[in-house]
Amino acid sequence: MSSATKASRIGEELWKTRVDKVNAELVTLTYGTIVAQLCQDYDGNYHEVNKQLEKMGYNIGMRLIEDFLAKSNVGRCANFRETADMISKVGFRIFLNIAPTVTNWTSDNNQFSLIFDENPLADFVELPDDGRAQDELWFSNILCGVLRGALEMVQMQIEAHFVSDVLRGDDTTEMRVSLVRYIEDEMPPDEE
Amino acid sequence: MVVYSFYIFDRHAECIYKRRWLPRPVSTVGSKSSRPTSEASAPGLPATLGQSARTTDDDAKLIFGTVFSLRNMARKLGGEDDNFVTYRTSQYKLHYYETPTNIKFVMLTDLKSPSMRVALQQIYINLYVEYVVKNPLSPVEHPGGIGVNNELFEESLEQFVTRVLS
Repeated sequence: MSSATKASRIGEELWKTRVDKVNAELVTLTYGTIVAQLCQDYDGNYHEVNKQLEKMGYNIGMRLIEDFLAKSNVGRCANFRETADMISKVGFRIFLNIAPTVTNWTSDNNQFSLIFDENPLADFVELPDDGRAQDELWFSNILCGVLRGALEMVQMQIEAHFVSDVLRGDDTTEMRVSLVRYIEDEMPPDEE
Repeated sequence: MVVYSFYIFDRHAECIYKRRWLPRPVSTVGSKSSRPTSEASAPGLPATLGQSARTTDDDAKLIFGTVFSLRNMARKLGGEDDNFVTYRTSQYKLHYYETPTNIKFVMLTDLKSPSMRVALQQIYINLYVEYVVKNPLSPVEHPGGIGVNNELFEESLEQFVTRVLS
């Protein structure tokens, strides 16, 4: 059984049995409100908004991973490909009930893309019509932060960013994820 | 069975929670301590000296050093996924559970106790994640144990251990 099929099964099972559900519109509207408020607070400086969203996501991810592990009870992934399947088929499945497609691997297996066919965060959304948001704002940027925070806790330093978004008029919504390095165990500080 | 003590170490190798249920047994110099000593454990571990004036902080450090070395040895010999579950001396049993996020749960019990691996996992899933990680007011990391020492967590832990005890 491939790691993708195995992950699908785990995700499916968990979604059915272990996950408390909330109204999807509540999530969409809450997230939309946060982004709108950030755009206001930073006075339309969308680069700053992207950065803040990423940071919020990072803090969420660092906690979310514990919930993920507690629910799924899965062990360490053998390689980054397995990690990608785990993120898509288990992580996104249990927290957002989607399973973005994992694709576009580089030959060294250190970079891949997640293609979002659906994105609950972006339902009902239209970007501000000021001529800049279309080019500068990554509306769902919080997800990049969540991945970075969550993977850091399981000893992987990664970099994630969106490269296209249907909200901007692109054909697909695509996030690029790159493994920077595996983080070594920390040693206790030396005494003596 | 009797639970002597319980420790949590975070990914920065810091002891973020410790709890003892029994007063420290009077230790005769050397081997008869209920703390990790070098006896009956793996070779190459630093032997603890027969100090009588150790504090609970020192105990925590000793335990961290021991489980850290044991776990690394287990991985070297048994492969990346291997880990040790428990070890025993003539005086006590040490149970160990580590999450993929490198949080280490350690429990010291008497020799009669069965494997506590599942119990430690339950503490992680049902108590630590629920009352510490999901507490919006507690910080993400817990330097000095901030956020772990909340009432809900401590009380549930107390209850859990008393239930397991009986």
